[in-house]
Amino acid sequence: MFFQIAIDGLLTGMVYALVASGLSLIWGVMDVLNFAHGEFLMLGMYVSYWLGFLMNLDPLISWIASGVFCFLLGVLTYKLIIQHTLSGPSLSALLATFGLSMMLKNIALNRFSPNFRILTGTLLDGKRIFLGNIVLPLPQLITSIFALVVVFIIYYIIKRTRLGWAIQATAMDKSAAELMGINTEKIFLLVFGLGGLCVGIAGGLLPSYLAVHPEVGGLFSLIAFVCVAMGGFGSIPGALLAALLIGLVEALSGFYIAPVFKYVAVFGLYLLIVMVRPKGLFGW
Amino acid sequence: MKYGCFVILLFQIIKSCINIFFSLKELFYLSYLILPISTVTILNYYLISANFKLKTEGGVRKYYKSFYLSLENILIFLRRKTEVNFCKKISVIVLTVLLAVTVASGAAFAQEKVIKIGTLFPLTGSVALAGTRCKAAVEAAVEVINNAHPEIQVPLAGQEGILDGYKIVLVHADHQGKADIAKAEAERLFNQEKVYSIIGCYNSACTAPASLVAEREGKIFMCGCSSSAALTERGLEYFFRMAPTDQTESLEFCEVMEWMNEAKGANVQTIGIIYENTEFGKHAADEGKAAAAAAGFEVVADVPFSPGATNMNSEVQTLKAKNPDVVFGACLGGDYTLWVRTMKQMDWLPKMCLNYCTGYQDPVITQQLGDDANYFMGGTGYAPEFAELMPAVAAVEKIYEDMVDVPFDSDSIQEAVAVLILAQAIEKAGTLDYDAVRDTLYANEWDSPLSMGGKVAFVPGGQNSKAMSMITQLQGGEYKRVYPVDLATDEVVFPMIPWNER
Repeated sequence: MFFQIAIDGLLTGMVYALVASGLSLIWGVMDVLNFAHGEFLMLGMYVSYWLGFLMNLDPLISWIASGVFCFLLGVLTYKLIIQHTLSGPSLSALLATFGLSMMLKNIALNRFSPNFRILTGTLLDGKRIFLGNIVLPLPQLITSIFALVVVFIIYYIIKRTRLGWAIQATAMDKSAAELMGINTEKIFLLVFGLGGLCVGIAGGLLPSYLAVHPEVGGLFSLIAFVCVAMGGFGSIPGALLAALLIGLVEALSGFYIAPVFKYVAVFGLYLLIVMVRPKGLFGW
Repeated sequence: MKYGCFVILLFQIIKSCINIFFSLKELFYLSYLILPISTVTILNYYLISANFKLKTEGGVRKYYKSFYLSLENILIFLRRKTEVNFCKKISVIVLTVLLAVTVASGAAFAQEKVIKIGTLFPLTGSVALAGTRCKAAVEAAVEVINNAHPEIQVPLAGQEGILDGYKIVLVHADHQGKADIAKAEAERLFNQEKVYSIIGCYNSACTAPASLVAEREGKIFMCGCSSSAALTERGLEYFFRMAPTDQTESLEFCEVMEWMNEAKGANVQTIGIIYENTEFGKHAADEGKAAAAAAGFEVVADVPFSPGATNMNSEVQTLKAKNPDVVFGACLGGDYTLWVRTMKQMDWLPKMCLNYCTGYQDPVITQQLGDDANYFMGGTGYAPEFAELMPAVAAVEKIYEDMVDVPFDSDSIQEAVAVLILAQAIEKAGTLDYDAVRDTLYANEWDSPLSMGGKVAFVPGGQNSKAMSMITQLQGGEYKRVYPVDLATDEVVFPMIPWNER
């Protein structure tokens, strides 16, 4: 039973990692906390749901559309809102994203109603892999593998490509990066878009096993914030490790202590880690 | 136009103050007294401040004129032909007309016979779907009461309004599923909106504090579907609840288990309870445990969870590890779908699954879950399949369906019953006096074609002693009546069909 619980926890953790990596990227480069991250996820899920419902597109395909949609949403958010707040006090960008989150959630409530929408009859629906006594639900497994791959691609881009170096340079010293000829405006735009892309891909795959409704992003974004803070602001490996840790703690404490304590354990662990390492596991 | 803005602002402040300190009826008389005086005084202030060289005194007192002097000033101003800018003159006339119209409309509103009733439901948040439906159910019932619908076989449907022409006007509020907001909104509804009564709140956790506000105010609180038994055990005088409680349902569940053992040889002995960690869930679980103990069944798994979670893996794994024969479920809305789908992913089902007043009864969730929703069971106060038992529902349901595109469910229909019973009580009492209406509510047995059993009567504490529900099982996406036996239409499918055989 222990292995079953641990695997469940790791699968959940990988999805948290994908949601958190976008958030971490934006924070690391721009020092902006995107409070609307959960709502980006929710809209990504709606895109996937509607494509599945109206055009019979499986989440295994429609994640591309969700990713592109959230990428554009991120770009637009930067262009229309964040860009104008960056010159003001640091709180204004944060409050602007908070306002955006309220707006997006209420638009979804108004347009899509509070109905819980479920995609049934998807390719992976109800499929499982049995490894002895261990059951691996295929929708979660595929989503988690996707999440892991996307996180690694993002990490690769940041660490191994010229674009990634430009992003890192901008994150370290914006003025110096500009003097080196880097167009930091474009970098910011791209980073916000990439943040949206990560959460959009997660949102595109989640409807294969989760119900879609306007409030669905709330707890995901809260846990993503904890992952980012626990892993160290701006560190993608940190966010990944923290997300896996959170998934494991959530599953094990939920089973061995009591399900109602699982979030107590998660947030307790977070408090413990920031007390010992205030900058998070990989923070600098 | 800054003076114009100032005048309108001041007028609104006066109106709000009157609203806060006086009731609707007093406002009606006061509006005739205060508003003309304030209109004249404000206009006078406007003229003097605009420096039109009218009759003034020195110092601060120059703005505080007697009513007569103020009126004189205005007349002097209007007679002048040369010194005053034409536009300014027009602006004064427009302001006068505006104020006069507002006074007139205020008076007209006061003259119209209305009873304001507040609705307090979760219109946003994780159970917004249920809240929106409850609100629509109340609106449907009010439509039946306010306008003549001779074709509808429900008390008061044939006439227009109550108490010789009083119409009900609804004021909606949203508590977001949060107890503190429910309390604050109840206070706002009573003190600022001046509602006569509140219908709500769906979540038991919100109904508890909101109904205490009503009790303190000595005003009536009508609760449709909040099912925590504790709500009617507080000894409140002005609180009335229509739906059966979790206690009733728990006893019914154990009765079904005993019947299954005797009649079907089911041999079900152990129970697991999964419930959200809220007022509703905890009370449902307590009642479930008490009923199980009384009936001699063993509770082997006690699984509370935080509502709105991202996953329910550990909850389902805990149930799976304990493997109870029967599971009692108290999971609302999205949590219900998550729970059912997680059980499918974990490839586990109990032999029988009985649900309280939860996502199980939601026809949209059932439709969305498709085949996965089948073979679950639960207490049901109303489902479209009950049409033959409750023939009067169809006509009211049509009005409701026009609003939300789904038929009534067990919860929303109780909110419609709450309004209809309150309106009947006011009509019978012949007055809006709270104590008289409360006493009338207690003293009578009410015809309620929208309730199963057709009657509503209250016992001290406010519980509807005639509240009933039936045990249904979802088969082929329809709520089939399986217990009590004399009202059953179908055989219960036992044990639940495993996921891989569906």
